[in-house]
Amino acid sequence: MPSLGTWLAAFFTLCMLSFLYKDNPFFRLAESFFAGLSLGYYIGIVMNQTLKPNLVLPLIHDFGANWNLVFAAGLGVILYFRYIKRVAWVSRWALAVYVGYYVGVNMMQKLHGEVIPQIGDSMLSLSYSGVGTLWNLIMVVGVLSVLIYFYFSVEHKGLIGGISRIGIWFLMISFGAAFGYTVMGRISLLIGRMVFLVNEWAKPLIGSIT
Amino acid sequence: MNLERVMQVDRRIIYLFIAIGTILPILFVIGLPVSITPPVQMAFDRIENQLQKGDVVLISFDYGPSSAPENAPMADAFLRHCFSKGIKVVVIALYPLGGLSEAVNEVSKVAAEFPELEYGVDYVNLGYKDGAQAAMKKMAENIHEVFPTDMRGTPLSELPIMQNIRTYRDMKLVVSLATGIIGEWWANLVNAQFGIPVIVGPTAVSAPKYYAYLEAKQMAGLLGGLKGASEYERLVVEKYPKLAEVYATPGLYTATKGMDVQSIVHMIMIAFIVLGNIVYFTSRKKPRKAS
Repeated sequence: MPSLGTWLAAFFTLCMLSFLYKDNPFFRLAESFFAGLSLGYYIGIVMNQTLKPNLVLPLIHDFGANWNLVFAAGLGVILYFRYIKRVAWVSRWALAVYVGYYVGVNMMQKLHGEVIPQIGDSMLSLSYSGVGTLWNLIMVVGVLSVLIYFYFSVEHKGLIGGISRIGIWFLMISFGAAFGYTVMGRISLLIGRMVFLVNEWAKPLIGSIT
Repeated sequence: MNLERVMQVDRRIIYLFIAIGTILPILFVIGLPVSITPPVQMAFDRIENQLQKGDVVLISFDYGPSSAPENAPMADAFLRHCFSKGIKVVVIALYPLGGLSEAVNEVSKVAAEFPELEYGVDYVNLGYKDGAQAAMKKMAENIHEVFPTDMRGTPLSELPIMQNIRTYRDMKLVVSLATGIIGEWWANLVNAQFGIPVIVGPTAVSAPKYYAYLEAKQMAGLLGGLKGASEYERLVVEKYPKLAEVYATPGLYTATKGMDVQSIVHMIMIAFIVLGNIVYFTSRKKPRKAS
């Protein structure tokens, strides 16, 4: 016989799948449970895995060596001032620090790790050296035509219009590939749930009855 | 048969076909062949040919239960590959909604298949860390400060495996099993700034964008969704035949078994798409009734 946890998981899975027939109270119940559990789990894991080992325990065990953590904790607390009308403006200080930090991290990350390597990889040799040159040519034409498609300072007609239409074809092919992958991903999730229902719930249930 | 009725078929009929196409291959495993693609072969070769026994690999669980059917088989295959080859594994989780529970489940499941391995010596689970980007950046300076203890609460200084591991320089490879953007950060932040090779196993939905990183040599391999996982399973089983017994365990969910279902469901969908197009073009050819 399946355990209580398996029964609950099977019940909520079937509740979610029932939406495929039509919207119903069972689906809404499962949806609300999922949202609540996710939030509760997130709060619990941040408390236990982040705040406790990185803030609470270091401050308790060796305050002298970790006193600077008080500032980080203070910034975190200040974020919640936004819920107190009279001091809500103070929360912007903490927000400014967070935004500043992540802008700094992201700016370098995007330039150094994305823009420059991707531009470099798009600069391909077009001098003939076999079949590879054909792929290089397709890549260069694709990149340039798609860039021109997204260049809106010139009206898309004449030569520019023709090139941007080629860009649309490249985009459509990439969207098709992305959509194909998306379908595969969604089917994979369905497979996961069905495998659970069949192997962990239905089979033991039928086995215990027969 | 009135073709226009086919055009207005109730979508629930299609769902029924998909459900049957999903359940039957789960009950009766077909074992369709899996072909290997270059991105997966690259990932396998990186571990098999360029790493030695005793090298350390960081495996980051950057996914949760919502994408486990795709990512968990990848995690299992990577863990089995590393453990079979004698590579030490440091596990972390950066995905907030269930990354840690996935890491705990998969590591304990696979580690049980290798009783000769010792926790803290051959592998370790450092647990979850919030603020993935910041943690990744800080790990380049000192992993011990980012993860002061493992997930059991043991200080890293007391774990033999962590004695000589302080930064990315002390590890040979990062493997990220990712949903969402965290996998990208391993490529465009950690690989770009600190140079450590990165393999990403993303969900199929996000796989296309990773090809750009792979083409630009910012990644050492790519496993796109369930298909990528099934390819890796095949490569691992071919190299380590002992693992074939594990993958043949009745009731064990594997990507290779999942691909049977994928193939059947894709055939059903293709059939509906072809049927819909035939009906559409046939009905267009009919002369319109005079108003």
